[in-house]
Amino acid sequence: MPISFGKNSIVLEGECTVEEALPLLEHLQSHPKSKVCMKGCVLAHSAVLQVLIAARPVYSSLPEEEFMRRWLVPALKGAQ
Amino acid sequence: MTTPLLIRFVAEARELLQLASSGLLALEKNPGDEAVVNNVFRSVHTLKGSSGLFEFVALTKLVHAGEDVLSAVRAGQLSLTSELVDLLLDALDRIGAWIDDIEHKGRLSDGADGVSRDMTAALRGWLPALPDASGPAQEAPRRAAAVEILDVDWLARIDEAARLEAFRACAQGHALLAIEYVPVEDCFFSGEDPVNLMRQIPALHGLLLEGTEPWPDLDTLDPYRCALRLRAISAAPQTSVEELFRYVIEQVAITPVAAHQLAVLAGEADDNPVYEDFVEEARDLSAKGDWSGLKNRTQALLNLTGSTLFAASALRWLDALLDVPAPDPSQVAVLIAAVIDGEAPPLPAPASTVVSASGRQERTAVEAGATVKSQSFPSSANPASHLSPIGREILEAQRFILESLLKPEMFPGQIGSIRRTVANVISGVMEKADCAAWSAACDASEAAGTGTAALAELNRILGSGAEVGAEVGATEIAQADASATVHDQRQAPARILKVDQAKIDTLMNLIGEMVVSKNTLPFLARRAENVHGSREMAREIKDIYAVIDRLSQEMQAAIMAVRMLPVSEVLDRFPRLVRDVARKLGKRVELVIEGEDTAADKNIVEVLSDPLLHIVRNSLDHGIETPEQREAAGKNPDSILIIRAFQEGDQVVIEVQDDGCGIDPAKIRAAAVAKGLMDAERAARLSDQEAINLVFAAGFSTAASVSDLSGRGVGMDVVVTTVEKAGGSVALNSVKGVGTTVRISLPLSMAVTRVMMVEAGGGMLFGIPMEHIAETVRIPRSRVKKIKQSESFVLRDTIVPLLRLDALLGVPQPLWFGDADQEEAVLVVKINGALTGLVVDHFREGMDIILKPFDGILSGIGGYAGTALLGDGRVLLVLNLKELV
Repeated sequence: MPISFGKNSIVLEGECTVEEALPLLEHLQSHPKSKVCMKGCVLAHSAVLQVLIAARPVYSSLPEEEFMRRWLVPALKGAQ
Repeated sequence: MTTPLLIRFVAEARELLQLASSGLLALEKNPGDEAVVNNVFRSVHTLKGSSGLFEFVALTKLVHAGEDVLSAVRAGQLSLTSELVDLLLDALDRIGAWIDDIEHKGRLSDGADGVSRDMTAALRGWLPALPDASGPAQEAPRRAAAVEILDVDWLARIDEAARLEAFRACAQGHALLAIEYVPVEDCFFSGEDPVNLMRQIPALHGLLLEGTEPWPDLDTLDPYRCALRLRAISAAPQTSVEELFRYVIEQVAITPVAAHQLAVLAGEADDNPVYEDFVEEARDLSAKGDWSGLKNRTQALLNLTGSTLFAASALRWLDALLDVPAPDPSQVAVLIAAVIDGEAPPLPAPASTVVSASGRQERTAVEAGATVKSQSFPSSANPASHLSPIGREILEAQRFILESLLKPEMFPGQIGSIRRTVANVISGVMEKADCAAWSAACDASEAAGTGTAALAELNRILGSGAEVGAEVGATEIAQADASATVHDQRQAPARILKVDQAKIDTLMNLIGEMVVSKNTLPFLARRAENVHGSREMAREIKDIYAVIDRLSQEMQAAIMAVRMLPVSEVLDRFPRLVRDVARKLGKRVELVIEGEDTAADKNIVEVLSDPLLHIVRNSLDHGIETPEQREAAGKNPDSILIIRAFQEGDQVVIEVQDDGCGIDPAKIRAAAVAKGLMDAERAARLSDQEAINLVFAAGFSTAASVSDLSGRGVGMDVVVTTVEKAGGSVALNSVKGVGTTVRISLPLSMAVTRVMMVEAGGGMLFGIPMEHIAETVRIPRSRVKKIKQSESFVLRDTIVPLLRLDALLGVPQPLWFGDADQEEAVLVVKINGALTGLVVDHFREGMDIILKPFDGILSGIGGYAGTALLGDGRVLLVLNLKELV
């Protein structure tokens, strides 16, 4: 499972597929204060990203993968 | 062109296109003809179906649109006007050109996706509006229309660094594209991943990821309903971007972006006296054209300025702009002014381009627009114009008139006409500012009474068009090239000729006759020598014979090759069949086909079809067990069915091998007794192989129940009869619990039969098919033993029954005077697997003959396979030993 849920944290790692979107959303719904760690995430499906963009959680770390860092982080942070 | 399937598709597609276009033409004359409408529809429908087998999305989409239109025509919802016919014919031509591409390059030409989208939209535009506007037919044109009106205000929202990067890329001659992709809501369910599709955009210079609407409360969010809007800037060619989005092309809008549209300045305002000095100096340098000096100053000041300041933003853009050897002075001027003005018009848009105001600087945008209008700058080198070649020609003609032909007395009329012509050409193609500039220049010219101002403006339009058009026009040029090559290739398209089989058969017969008549030459040579005593003549005839012999053999081989087909013709349908049948029976079968490109005569391949079907069905039904049975027997639950084709000598062999339960000889014996085929004692004496061979006997089926697949008792005996009729044989090998192999051997070609000639009945010649002959022996009469009425002899410790051909043919036998040393010529033949000795008078040579079966009243005579003509004109009777013995 590329996503692991802790008490107050959600860790996304490796490649997050479309199946991960629903558990992620459910966890964010039940634990809205969770901090999201995306350090190890190299690929996230659009559906996963969509959940994150809509939820605007607090990020404890941002993805380091080149494409995500460059182009997706602004959307994740809701900077626009 | 690698796969035979593709080759067939190309041939078929050409035929279908031909049918469709001739049908369309007929329909144009007589729109009410339903039969023709149906024909055209069917052609296009078939084409769509078969194109779907391949990765030609653009082609399939276009054909699909055509099919939809024709379907509406057929349903009477749409009447077929000439315009519509034109459009459809255009589409067919386009498809035809693509088919040529596929044939030559194995893929569609570049830019096919875009062309397909446009034509598809045009075709779908004809479709009557459906009450349910959400249908795909409605979706496509709506989205396609978005291409033209694509709004690029969002560019400003991409971060400045990325925009600067794109700007520099553009300065290096890469055309920029703005891409807007709004995926359909259920796209996640069709496996789309829009963001990661964007990831693959080549030369990506900016990406925006936004929601199509404000995000709902998290509790009501549907994670699997896509509500994203994706926008990107890319410096890649339009064709490669279209290629990337080919599956969702109707959801994507792509438009070229001019570099200056990227230059949207933003930052905090501040007031610093340094700016004034800089601006003064910069204007000075810029007036002198000292761009590198200006660049140095700019960078120096940039280092001193806080990066979040508005001035810094302006300086960064100025720096980027100065990368080019000859930057546009007007743009430089606007940027320099922006440094000091702080809140000044942030848009260094030259006169030729429409200034797009970003939301944040609305206040100043109006002013900027006003400046543009009143000042009429000399245009930048980048007015994003793309003139068509024809438009360019027209403009150049106008320039020529302005330059040389303008006479003062005719000036007022001519300038008016030139003005209108140019305005018509550039309106819609060029930016509004260009049109306005042209109109202003004409006003000036009219007022002055000379063409100078107009000429200067026209030069500018033409000059700039040349530079800018280059990249954008590259697509057009590429297309023009492509169509040119298509045209060239059309000169000599590889054609497949469909010929009636009867014609080939005639050729085959003729070459057969020729082979036979050629064989008379040696006779003639002998005659020349013996009768006419001319040795030299005989030798010359033999020389000529050698040449004709070689030629006719080559010719025969060539004609045979025409008739050769790969056995895949028959095997191709098995994967599907095996899958369906296995599913129905609840068995798990893996089909392996080997050697499908083994070739054999068309007739032979066709003969194979039905027997193979029986055998494969038998294997699936009786041979292969259910997964449970297999597991219980300790086998892999997945069984393997192998169909193997190969050539062995002059035979083509097809083996069907399964790893099923095999045939139990004991069961066969029991069944044979139960069916009354033989008594128990005889059944017990049968060897296992003999027992297994009983399945070939007519009316034999051991399956406990009759299924709808096989087991009706018309299985293997039909197989054997069919194969033997074609001159082949069937062998069956089975080991109980391990599997069964059925082996069909057929001659490669039925055209030529090899026979051995024998003499019998006192000098009569008979042919015996070579495949029956095991060996020839001479045995002394003393070794022939009589057992009651039958004769026999011992050949290598085996008793072989002896038959006399004379007796079989009803010819009186020569008398025998009891000389025990006299030898009999015995042809040992194998009939139905058993050796039999056939006594003949003499052995003669073997030869290749064209066997002609009896026809007419002779066809009822048994014992003969047919006749052949000999070189000396005699008729050779070829025996059918199975019927005779």
